[in-house]
Parts: sequence; structure tokens; C-alpha cells
Amino acid sequence: MAHQFHPPVKNYEIIEHTADLALRVNSKDLAGLFRNTALALFKISAKKKPSVKGLKKETLPVMQKADTLDELFISWLNELLSLSSAKGLVFTDFRIIRIGEKEIEAFAVGEDAGGFGLDKEIKAATYHGLKLKNSAEGWQAEVILDV
Amino acid sequence: MSELWQGKLEKIDDYRWRIPKSYRPGMRVPGIIYADEGLLKDIRQDKALEQVANVAFLPGIVGASLAMPDIHWGYGFAIGGVAATDIEEGGVVSPGGVGYDINCGVRLIQTNLRYEDIKDKIEAFTRALFNDIPAGVGSKGDIRVSPREEREILVKGAGWAVEKGYGTDDDLECTEERGAIAGADPDAVSDRAYERGKAQAGTLGSGNHFLEIQAIEQLYDRDACDALGLDLGQITVMIHSGSRGLGYQVCDEYVRGMVHCLDKYKINVPDRQLACAPVNSAEGRAYLAAMKCAANYAWANRQCLMYLVRKSFERVLGEPWERMGMRLIYDVAHNIAKLEKYTVGGKEKLLCVHRKGATRAFGPGHPAFPERYRKIGQPVIIPGDMGRNSYLLVGTQRAMDETFGSTCHGAGRVKSRTQAARSVNANALLKELESKGIIVKASGRGTIAEEAPQAYKDVNDVVSVVHNAGISKRVCRMRPLGVIKG
Repeated sequence: MAHQFHPPVKNYEIIEHTADLALRVNSKDLAGLFRNTALALFKISAKKKPSVKGLKKETLPVMQKADTLDELFISWLNELLSLSSAKGLVFTDFRIIRIGEKEIEAFAVGEDAGGFGLDKEIKAATYHGLKLKNSAEGWQAEVILDV
Repeated sequence: MSELWQGKLEKIDDYRWRIPKSYRPGMRVPGIIYADEGLLKDIRQDKALEQVANVAFLPGIVGASLAMPDIHWGYGFAIGGVAATDIEEGGVVSPGGVGYDINCGVRLIQTNLRYEDIKDKIEAFTRALFNDIPAGVGSKGDIRVSPREEREILVKGAGWAVEKGYGTDDDLECTEERGAIAGADPDAVSDRAYERGKAQAGTLGSGNHFLEIQAIEQLYDRDACDALGLDLGQITVMIHSGSRGLGYQVCDEYVRGMVHCLDKYKINVPDRQLACAPVNSAEGRAYLAAMKCAANYAWANRQCLMYLVRKSFERVLGEPWERMGMRLIYDVAHNIAKLEKYTVGGKEKLLCVHRKGATRAFGPGHPAFPERYRKIGQPVIIPGDMGRNSYLLVGTQRAMDETFGSTCHGAGRVKSRTQAARSVNANALLKELESKGIIVKASGRGTIAEEAPQAYKDVNDVVSVVHNAGISKRVCRMRPLGVIKG
């Protein structure tokens, strides 16, 4: 690929939903699941403009706590969408420092949104139809996004 | 994820269908769907009807969980859903019953311009609007506000914009709630929501939001058209936008909080996106106070957008907007929860009416809308897709009796965005629309394919159902000439 602006994300697919957008994401572990879903979110919503170089980068700490894993997953995604919109950044990488079923501590690496073509606004990740599964093959998430 | 819905559906008449209360244990009321046989085929294709049944679980729900003919699968509530809860009986408010884009809504502006007089200038008008109106994901506007002013917007709504010179008192008169719903508390809104909202006043947004130049092509009710000053060939402008990032943030934070209310108040709902709290609880009151802030922000936003449209038209024709007769016909919300009084079981009750992709449609004589419309009923604006029509309707007494004064809000999607993007070539579509005399300008090519007419139900079918069912009445139909998409 001539312009590969995001780290490679192979572990997600878009599944059909009439009004919104649904994602299925896979990973061998929980940290990877959270990271891959976050990467997918921003890969879908923004494409870096090929002509733009040397964008301002900013790394922000992201910490979320919740009562359940489902809540943690939705809160993580919505916090990233909210931070991205408030700070004018597109997140292109995530470093997960610590993760459990009820807590995540991570860093999100963002680049100035001005350097991206933004063609899909994701308003939020929702609980409707949310599935988080752990099996011998690893973790899988299905989540519906309001677009 | 979609599969044909196999649940139980009883025919009431040609335009009404019932999901009986016995369909699933836990449903407190039946579901009622306004649709004809043709639309029902599409509606059964996904999980929208299951969502109608889910909403029937809400504590305090009265009458029925209602669905308009533009219903389609959403998250929590179906889009096109209406539910009213009895506040005295522990009735709840659910942020998911309003949605992320709080007070997403539409306004219709009339002009005294005629298609025949400006048909050679449609391209110039469309280009001017595209250049003047900030659109697209995360777009930022030229209307900058200080933090103090942002708090004012959340309380004063469209009134703030009028005070700043972006409109007139007559605009407020023709806006639902006069552009500011009472009870908004800026302290119920987080700093993050303020941060997301500060640069987006006067911006259109993206997705299905649009701005459209139209011509009236069909009159259905001559008396109502006369009362509104509308005639064949007249140019109108429609604006569809909402509360942008500020509204998304409010919804997100309150859904997050209300997930915990399910245990606290022992509420049993089959979908956590229906998280809710009693209207008469600290959580319910706080959500409504914050939701009203976002609703007022959206009304201010559409007022600012209308100001930009007027300025744009002035530049193209070199005349003041007043001389072009650019008067607001009406502005209605279609994602909102309102406290309204209805007679239920012979008693007057204060209800919390959720309209999630549905429009208020009050009948003649109601004091909530301007005197000038009292005889005909509240104007209801129904946008269609970019290749078909839009409608102006009026509310009816039957809507007051059957649907808590509510009707449909648009065409309703029938194809997913991914299906549409796969099957539609944006360039070919633009050419096809151009051959029909429709000029489209969009911030992103992706939006054009996803919002293609093929992705939507035919708005003519949807409107036909609400008209024939009697929950609103056709006044006139417009066809698109120039479309700006976010």
C-alpha cells in the first residue's frame, strides 16, 4: 500500500446495520481487543491527507474505571471519541499500560485533525447488541456505533 | 446482523399493526406500528420491531410503544419510536430514547422567489451556500463564542442568536418552544461538553445532515397553503442539523450514569442502551436539565445556520433577505423528550414523551404554536432523501388522541451505509441527480454514496401512511434543486 498511515489493523470487519455501523473485532488478548477496536474506530472515521507531513502529535493519558467489562469497553471507546473531538486530534496509536475487567490505563497518540480528511462522524459506541466473548482463540467484540 | 423479524404482529387496519403485550413477558403495553403492507416488508428486515417491544418494558409507559412508518433499527429505541411515561406512576426518562444528537431537527424557510425566476442561478446559490456554511465532520464555524456566552446559549437557545443579530423575534415565534425549552441548567453540563460545543455553533455537521434549496411542486391543501402563504413554484430552504458534539457528550455521560440506575431503581429493561431513571429522581431531573441545554444549543445552531443562509442569498441576488421574503415557516425537533399533558384513561396526566426520530404534530387550536397556525395545526417538516421529495404537513387532533401528538420525521433508512457505499457510485449518482435538475455539493464523497436515495424508503410512501392514518395531514410537497451535505 502506497500510503499506510495507521498501524496495520487486520482484526476487524464491518457488519451490516441499517442505520448505524457495527464492528466485529478480534484479538488474542483483552488489551489487543481494546486497542484494535480503538484503531478501527479512527481508521473508519479519518484518512490522513497524503500531502500533509509533520503534523503536531500529542500523547494523552486515558484512564477509565467501570463496574463491568462491557461498561469499561464502551466507556473507553466513548472517552476516545470525546477526547478526539474536544482536542481536535485523530488518534493513530494506543499504548495500553494496564488493563483488567474494571479498569484501563493507557496512552492515546493523536495527530492534528487538520491533517486528515474526516468523512464519517462516529457519535458514540452503544450498548445495543454489544458482545464481548473470550474463547480458546482469543477475544472477540461486536459493537454498534452511532454514526 | 440482520434477519427477518419473526415476532407476532396483528393487523388493526390498513395503517396500524400491533405487537401484543403477550409477545414477551415484561412488556407493560403493546407496540403499535404505523405502516402499510409495503413498508412493513422492509420494516421486518431488521431488529426495529424487537426494539419497539423492548421499549414497552419501560416503567410508567402508557398507551403503547409507538413506531412511525419511517421506523428503522437504531440502538435502544428504534429510530421512529415514540414512548410516553406517566411521571406520577414512576415513569422514566431514557437518554437512549432521545439519542446522541439531541434536538436533531429541521427548519423550513419560505421565500418569495419563484423557480422560473431563479432556475439559472441554482448552481450559484448552491455554490454560495457550500462556501458559506461550515459542514462536515468536526467542522468549526465562524460564529465564535466565549465560555460565558456558551452558558447563555444553553439557556436562551435561539433567543441568544436573535440577541446577537442573527435573526428576528418572528423567527423565535415560529420555532418549537420559541427556540429555548425552559428548565435548562448549564451546571448539569460537563466541561468536556462545553469544550466540544464551543467551536461548532453555526455548523451543519455530517452524515444525514443537510441544507437544501427546494421548489414547491404539489399543493394538497389549498386553505393551509393560503394560510402559510405558499404556492406552486415557490422556493423554500430546508436546514437539518442538531446539537453536534455537545449533545453527543451529554447523552454519553448520562447513559453511562443511568446504566447504574437500573439496579438502583430495580428497573428491568432488555437492553442497557435503554438505561433510564424515574423522571422524579435526582438522575432523571439532572438528565432533563442537561438535555434541555443541548436542545437549546441545537435551536441556536439552526438559527445561526439560517442567518448564514440569508446572508448567502443576499450575496447571490444583491437584495436584502427581507425583500426576498425569507421568513421561517417552522422549526421542529425530532430527537427530544418533552413533558406534555394528555388525557389518559379519562384523566389529565403529565407525561414524559420521548420522540426518537419522530416529530411533534399538535393539532389545530393548541396553544403551543403561533396564533397564525392555530386554525390549520402545527407545521410538521418531513425531509426526504436528496433525490426525491420533502413535505410540509400539519398536525391533527387524531395525533393528539393516538400518538401523543407525534408523527414521522423523514424517509427512514432501508439500506445500511456499508451496503449503500458498496452499491452506489458517487460520481454516477451525482450525474444522475444533475440530469434531474438536482445539484449536490458534499464535503466527502463517502457521504454521497451512503446518503443515496436508494438507501432510503420512499418518503412519499411514509407520508402517505401518516396522512391516511390521520396523524398528520399533507399540505405541500417540495422537490430538491440544490443540496449541501456535510
